[in-house]
Amino acid sequence: MVSAEFFLLRCRMATWVLLTVWTLLGLMFGYIVPYVMYRSDDGRPNMLEAMLPEQITQTLLDGFPFFGGAIALILGVLAVGSEFGWDTLKTLFTQRPGRGVVFTAKMAALAIMLVPFVVPLFASGAIAGVMIARLEGVDIFWPDAMTVIQGMLAGWLVLAVWASVGVLLAVATRGTSLAIGFGILYTLVIEGLISALAGTVSLLEPIVDLFLRANTYSLVRPLGGAGSGTGDSAATDGPGAFSGPYVDELQALVVLVAYMVVFIGVSAWLLRRRDVA
Amino acid sequence: MKDRVNKRSGFSPGRYVIETDQLTKRYGDIVAVGHLDLRVRQGEVYGFLGANGAGKTTTLRMLLGLIQPTSGKASVLGAKPGTEESLMGVGSMIETPAFYPHLSGRHNLVMLAKYTGTPLKRIDQVLAQVDLSKRADDAFQTYSLGMKQRLGVAAALLKDPVLLVLDEPTNGLDPAGMADMRALIRRLGSGDRTVLISSHLMTEIEQICDRVGVIAGGSLVAEGTVDELRGKDRLLIRVDQIEDARRIVAGLVGEQSVAVSSEVLQVTASNQGEIESAWLNARLVAQGIAVQELRWDRASLESVFLDLTSGQLRQGKRGQSVIHANGQDQESREVAHV
Repeated sequence: MVSAEFFLLRCRMATWVLLTVWTLLGLMFGYIVPYVMYRSDDGRPNMLEAMLPEQITQTLLDGFPFFGGAIALILGVLAVGSEFGWDTLKTLFTQRPGRGVVFTAKMAALAIMLVPFVVPLFASGAIAGVMIARLEGVDIFWPDAMTVIQGMLAGWLVLAVWASVGVLLAVATRGTSLAIGFGILYTLVIEGLISALAGTVSLLEPIVDLFLRANTYSLVRPLGGAGSGTGDSAATDGPGAFSGPYVDELQALVVLVAYMVVFIGVSAWLLRRRDVA
Repeated sequence: MKDRVNKRSGFSPGRYVIETDQLTKRYGDIVAVGHLDLRVRQGEVYGFLGANGAGKTTTLRMLLGLIQPTSGKASVLGAKPGTEESLMGVGSMIETPAFYPHLSGRHNLVMLAKYTGTPLKRIDQVLAQVDLSKRADDAFQTYSLGMKQRLGVAAALLKDPVLLVLDEPTNGLDPAGMADMRALIRRLGSGDRTVLISSHLMTEIEQICDRVGVIAGGSLVAEGTVDELRGKDRLLIRVDQIEDARRIVAGLVGEQSVAVSSEVLQVTASNQGEIESAWLNARLVAQGIAVQELRWDRASLESVFLDLTSGQLRQGKRGQSVIHANGQDQESREVAHV
């Protein structure tokens, strides 16, 4: 069943469009734009360091909490929400397994599908880093394998949590359009605005500590992400900007896993309980 | 069949394949299905006849576990609808067939085969059965409505089910497609497999089904074989001296078989072989009665259906009674509909 669901995701054009967009975004903001800036008059010497292979984990993880989150949210919505639009839930739910089994298979396939959203990005980043190092005539050093693996796992978890938000929104709204709309609105307006205000209104800090944005940035920060290095990153600039407050990395890990479990659990409960009309 | 049913679904032979007890579904104040008692026997092709919005699809969805009843109970193959025990022996197509548009017909069936644990070689068999082998590798979104319907039937057959539930299977098909589909359903139901087919097309039901249940306003209003529902054959005799003719014919076939309606003499018979119309004509003429018209007539299923369903409307959908055409189990109940 998992293989069937994975096959279904693999065969969707939308999956590959999202993967392409995500990988291009990672390369664009991690390497291409910074390198163009570095070669221009605005370039600062520390910008080059961030683009070299040794800094690959730090450079790429910056994009996961915001851009990666949005992409994963859309993937999660499409993975489940489209079933409502196509009316295929009635076909699946009248086969042999129960609804819980069908949903579990879908979630397992989605979890597997998120792996290509991490590994190829790191591979592309490595190629880009090597190319830049060659162009600049700098020696190539690689980070230790454990750092890269931890970075990939953290990146996968960030995507998985956001994908679970997408799944919940899709099940709750029984579709895709409204779910994506709500998701983006929540990411940009609710979390973005309140996080920005938390810097001046201390009362909001405890709330921000529970936000996905705070916890995902806090998770990747110890691994070098979230603008921990150069200060020039997606974490500190642009629509996904986040400048704290950060929480403890263990707390971030626990909170994110708990969120994922809750989001998936509520989705499963709704799907089992509701009529398929 | 019995072995197959036992092994695959745990269903005990001899019981009803489908059994509902006061099955009801309400949406707020609206009663979609009200106190439905439905019993489908093993091996029969049961037609579920009703107008659009009568509650057919809602009933079928409840039988497949897609929607939960507000009250009442149902059992399908001896198990609660929607459970693995029930679904493992049921193949279904509810309303428009729903498949993944970007996948081919074959890949859609592969998906379902993986869910049901069906060997993949079965896919070619069912595709051939519905005559879709040539287009099997094209994307579902490129299929015509008829091809989509056929893929829906193929998907329903994939598990080689002991119970087949088909909701309006000829919807949107052209006349040739409808004839093909009817032939296919007749073939599928000719063995031990039980088929529950819903439709609002009288000819379809008349040609395919062993037994028919008529649903109106969410309630079963009549049940029986097509012959039972259509009633007895009638010999209609139009004459000048109607009272003399009635007396003569009553003397020949019995008082209870003769009636006068709209200045026409009606002689009822179990079948047309029971009364020799030429002989009756000769006897009337011999008695000096001029016979203007003499012909056999029988109520069509359509007229029976319209009588039953318009009766429901006239009653304001209250105080409905189920007519069992075989004369058994007359029941009455009060159902409040809005």
